[in-house]
Amino acid sequence: MPHAPLIRLENVTLTRGGRVVLDNVSLDITERRVGLIGTNGSGKSSLVRLLNGLLAAEKGRVTVHGLDAATQAGELPRKVGFIFQNPDHQIIFPTVAEEIAFSLEQAGLPRRQAAKEAVPALARFERAHWAERPVHALSEGEKQFLCIIAVLVMAPAVLILDEPFSSLDLPTRRRLETLVAGLEQQVILVAHELDAFTDFDRVIWLHEGQVRGDGPPAEIIPAYRAFAEALA
Amino acid sequence: MISLYLAQRTWLHGVPAGWKLLALALVSLIAAPLDSLPLMAGLLVAVLALYVSLGRAAVAQIALLRPLWPLFLILLAFHWWNGDVTAGLVVLARILAMVLLANAVTMTTRMDAMMDAVEPLLAPLGWFGGSPRAVALAVALMIRLIPLLFALWEALNESWRARTGKRGGWRLLAPFCIQTLRLSHHTAEALAARGGAPRGTRR
Repeated sequence: MPHAPLIRLENVTLTRGGRVVLDNVSLDITERRVGLIGTNGSGKSSLVRLLNGLLAAEKGRVTVHGLDAATQAGELPRKVGFIFQNPDHQIIFPTVAEEIAFSLEQAGLPRRQAAKEAVPALARFERAHWAERPVHALSEGEKQFLCIIAVLVMAPAVLILDEPFSSLDLPTRRRLETLVAGLEQQVILVAHELDAFTDFDRVIWLHEGQVRGDGPPAEIIPAYRAFAEALA
Repeated sequence: MISLYLAQRTWLHGVPAGWKLLALALVSLIAAPLDSLPLMAGLLVAVLALYVSLGRAAVAQIALLRPLWPLFLILLAFHWWNGDVTAGLVVLARILAMVLLANAVTMTTRMDAMMDAVEPLLAPLGWFGGSPRAVALAVALMIRLIPLLFALWEALNESWRARTGKRGGWRLLAPFCIQTLRLSHHTAEALAARGGAPRGTRR
């Protein structure tokens, strides 16, 4: 019996601001490390937003780890963690411990318990000493790391990272890549840093709302690079 | 006046939020009707002593009062024009003491502790279908975003100066509002991605 796909898009179409951003896309995603590439405006960000319920497909069907994105959108945030490009847009609370406690509460813990569990949760990532720190005092890399911890403590099955490296220097980026590589979660990474996908299982190349290439990184990345260079 | 949370723990961090807020309310209630200059000056000195007891980082926060100086000058000028400089000094000492005292509470109290203390007062919202938790979240977000808004203004000012050589001033207001809306849109999306604003008063 074939393995059931973890994420499935069936004939999904989505328009935003009068423009078709996803055009009849169908995908089965069972791999643990999946990259999503494409030029700006190719539909990458829209596609990953469908998986977390931030956007809803107009046509077609999206299922994520057993949840139907149309009818069970409210349950998706607990199953699908989402990391955005700019950590400053994502951090809600003034101190690190509060930020983590909020996630634990969103994951269903009663409030007092969530507040108590925040420090042990940070300790699992060797960052217990951050608990009392004001978030504005963290570096960009530390903020992005905090965002990832805040999402991981909700124990999602999938982690989506939407251009998480944009504002990071190379050493910080490498550290985050190592962190992501070691996660047990299924990971979907949207990025323009093509060398980040070397060890990935699969890379999906979107162009003008459609799948232009799909396969192992060794095959897709050179093809995309040639295409992008030709555009320049 | 809202200043930033002090990372280094002070003795005031250990005092429960409810007590601090209660003390703040009591001091303002008592100080409001008093108009003796020695008393108000004494209060101000006491508050400054409190800052000194909290350490150097706390004392440095007093600099945050700087933008208020024009307001203080106008207040004093107004009283001088009315022929009662003493009354002006009393008002000034009272405002300074209260602003600093309120600031001492915000910089030593974590947002969640503050909200725990305030939430019972917001409970009546629940009777009309409102959510005290949502209000608490909104306040936390506001405090969190203040340093970001400052940074945003600075960034706009820099871009302006890079191309004109002059300060942007009021001309930055419109782009600032637009950028603020963009920021709120992003933050709302990130909040939705984590399950949205909590409802009810789960404890």
